[in-house]
Amino acid sequence: MSEFFHQYFDFNYMGEHFWEVLEAFLQNLLIFAVVAVLALTWGLVLALLRQLPGRKFVPVRFLTIAYIDLFRAIPILIVILLISGGIPFLEFIPKDIRIPHWLGKPDPFWYGVAALMLVYGAFTAEVYRAGIEAVPGGQMEAARSLGMSHFAAMRHVIVPQAVTLIPAPMLNELISLLKDTTLVSVIAFSESVLISRELLAESFNSSALILTAFFFVVIILPMARVVDKMIARNQAKIARGSHIEVA
Amino acid sequence: MPEAMVQLKGIHKRFGSLEVLKGVDLEVDKGEVVCILGPSGSGKSTLLRCVNLLAPPEEGEIFLEGEDICKGPGSGTGEQSWNLDYVRQRVGMVFQQFNLFPHKTALENVTMAPEKVLGRSKQEARAKGTALLERVGLADKLNQYPERLSGGQQQRVAIARALAMEPHVMLFDEVTSALDPELVKEVLDTMRELAEEGMTMLVVTHEMGFAKEVGDQVVFMDGGVIVEQGAPEQVLDHPREERTQRFLGLVLER
Repeated sequence: MSEFFHQYFDFNYMGEHFWEVLEAFLQNLLIFAVVAVLALTWGLVLALLRQLPGRKFVPVRFLTIAYIDLFRAIPILIVILLISGGIPFLEFIPKDIRIPHWLGKPDPFWYGVAALMLVYGAFTAEVYRAGIEAVPGGQMEAARSLGMSHFAAMRHVIVPQAVTLIPAPMLNELISLLKDTTLVSVIAFSESVLISRELLAESFNSSALILTAFFFVVIILPMARVVDKMIARNQAKIARGSHIEVA
Repeated sequence: MPEAMVQLKGIHKRFGSLEVLKGVDLEVDKGEVVCILGPSGSGKSTLLRCVNLLAPPEEGEIFLEGEDICKGPGSGTGEQSWNLDYVRQRVGMVFQQFNLFPHKTALENVTMAPEKVLGRSKQEARAKGTALLERVGLADKLNQYPERLSGGQQQRVAIARALAMEPHVMLFDEVTSALDPELVKEVLDTMRELAEEGMTMLVVTHEMGFAKEVGDQVVFMDGGVIVEQGAPEQVLDHPREERTQRFLGLVLER
């Protein structure tokens, strides 16, 4: 038993490597932050493309739906491996884009960011869609009857309401995005799981993995509580029901 | 002969295999108030939605101030074209469920379209919006959000919102049906004033008193066609058609 304990919960070992693992964990947070901004934007674009009305946009809608379905279906690990293994060899792409070293970050960082953005764009698009579809149809009708174009109606009427309906499911997506940043370790980017495994390899001690897990828990638990609060607040709103006759 | 503001000729509208309008002809003169009655499912609301092309008809012609609005780019596809947005800027609509924008204050509801569609300055739109809300008796509610307003107040904001686009025609789709009885009058009064000022109005309603008092023409629809139309006294008091008599009998029994 004590052997097991030492293998995973060697606090001295954790103390020795605390800063090293923390620094690697900050790389996870960095990937998370960059991808969150990109994926939330990309997802909104996808959701809006999917909502384009009329016959002439059938091809756009079809392609968008195909994209969303595909990237929700393919395991993220495969997307990461395909991008990091494929993009560098596409010689028609300029070298700075093919093998990016922007902002002092190595190319695996950017391959990871790209892969996670492509996948999470698809997931967040579905969350946006749920929000957009939850806005009553009369809102679009009213906006259009005032002479607003579909785009103006989306921008000023539908999307502002849709985003207030989806913070809880969106935060759930972000939680899973944060955890999935560890997948970038497979293409040799030095984030927390890669560092922990390197430590394991050299010392045969797994405590760094537990420490890494601890960091994730510390960040994610509060996020989960926020989701709970949001859901509770929404439910209270629904329970209050048709409270239109206030004045 | 006064100029026809809206002219509908042989309008057919289908939703899938369901034919909701089966050939409707209607002429509305400038400044005229036409009240449309009929049982639910008779096609009244769809007819209104044809006039501003929210539900473009599959067949027939619609003339707005002499212009055929079903022709031109994008017509019939049901989707965007300059034509549609241009049409809707001249045709205001008020809905049964108000459809106010809940994330905007009363004043912002009124100023949004003038700012975003007509490109009015914020200042200009606010001045006009304030005047319009004063006109519908809501000078003290400018900065309230819709959920803080009663149904009657919301509906009056919706009327002001439509008027802000300076429409030439107003469509009212059962605008008092979702209101508590004591709130109906304030909305009807607003509509009556609008009619007195010479607004051309198509009003789908179950308010017989309003139709009789304010309407210049009453149209009774059933089964996707106009069954009977004429002066209010004639249609409401001396209906010729058996279907009209039956409907009025049921409505007035209440």
